[in-house]
Amino acid sequence: MPDKANDMKLVERIAGGDAEALGELYDRYGRVAFGVLYRMLPGPEAAEEVAQDAFHSVWREARSYRSERGSVRTWLLAICRNAAIDWRRTRGKRLEREVTIEAAAELLSDAKVDERVVDRLRAERVRAMVGRLPREQREVLALAFWGGYSQSEIAARTDTPLGTVKSRVRLAMNKLRESLEDER
Amino acid sequence: MSQERHPTEDLPAYALGALEPDEREAIAAHLETCALCTGDLAQFEDALYEAAVIGAVNVEPPADLRTRIVARHRGARPSSATSWGDRVIAFLRSPVPAAVPIALAVLLVVAFGVLGATRGQADTYARALAGVVDGRVVALAPTGANPDARATVVIPNQGSPYLIVRLPVPPTGKAWEAWVLKPGSSGPVAVPAGTTDRGDVFTLSLTVPLGAGDGVAITLEPASGSAQPTTQPVLAVERT
Repeated sequence: MPDKANDMKLVERIAGGDAEALGELYDRYGRVAFGVLYRMLPGPEAAEEVAQDAFHSVWREARSYRSERGSVRTWLLAICRNAAIDWRRTRGKRLEREVTIEAAAELLSDAKVDERVVDRLRAERVRAMVGRLPREQREVLALAFWGGYSQSEIAARTDTPLGTVKSRVRLAMNKLRESLEDER
Repeated sequence: MSQERHPTEDLPAYALGALEPDEREAIAAHLETCALCTGDLAQFEDALYEAAVIGAVNVEPPADLRTRIVARHRGARPSSATSWGDRVIAFLRSPVPAAVPIALAVLLVVAFGVLGATRGQADTYARALAGVVDGRVVALAPTGANPDARATVVIPNQGSPYLIVRLPVPPTGKAWEAWVLKPGSSGPVAVPAGTTDRGDVFTLSLTVPLGAGDGVAITLEPASGSAQPTTQPVLAVERT
């Protein structure tokens, strides 16, 4: 379960040049970060390479972290996701290993979640909400998040009007947000 | 708080990373000054990445990955205050050529080029540049890592931007990688824009769109390319 106060202290230590703090951040979130990359990339070698790049970005960008822009876990996973998308845009296409629509089309996995990094209650709320989303809304979220596709690309690849895709994204994201709203 | 209209409708797609680059840049600029939208974005991202944790593959990373990550940074200093992009920009704030007309660019190239490189290379480079018939050219400045390096961004009136480059063949296992420097919330963000293992005088197409005011840089990277720059640039320009 994320410990926001300690996470922020870790980031402060990383910003101060403490490499062991980077290791401690890895201890907390390395496994889930690797799991995100593993799902987005064509194999463990690519996930390993991008994980190293992502933690290097954390090292370089630690001083620019702003807690009002989200939790440390969200910040780290966003760095990982962006690094994976960059990797695929450069080497993924060259290797013809782009993630397919089919591989990216489901938002959640059936795998058991690493309970060290989730608040079980929050996770269940999100899982239940995602389960209630219409299939088309789940699909646009998954294609954008895991596949790295833009709304225009999703519209083209699924032969759906762009306006419809935009509407599905809005509805799905608002519902996802609502699933955690009563915590605030 | 920003006085602009809040991009409420597009904020969910922004959180999801599903906007086109121009839409994304407009919202990023708004977020710089709007605490309300920044707070909304944090809520969207929080929920999205909660779902991502549930959606991630539950797999054990390689046993030595942690050791390698820590070892790479032990004894090093974080550079966020002076990130890669910031250092490039700091360098470029010293007087260097920016955008110049084609004819002047050719003269500059010839004048500077013959000093270190062979005259043949300088001639080939100058001829390549002189062959540009339309559009705009912007010279990249050598940063000192390779004083003989030369490169120019060509932005045609129609078609995609590309680089005309004069660099030696990279060492075995390495490649030249081009980067488009996009404005980011904490300094320029380097986006990978193409690699090559060629040397001498060659052209390199930029594989990502070049927005108004974006910078360009070239670094030496592993042959497979890098997601982020790992070395200082040999050539760079702050804005095109």
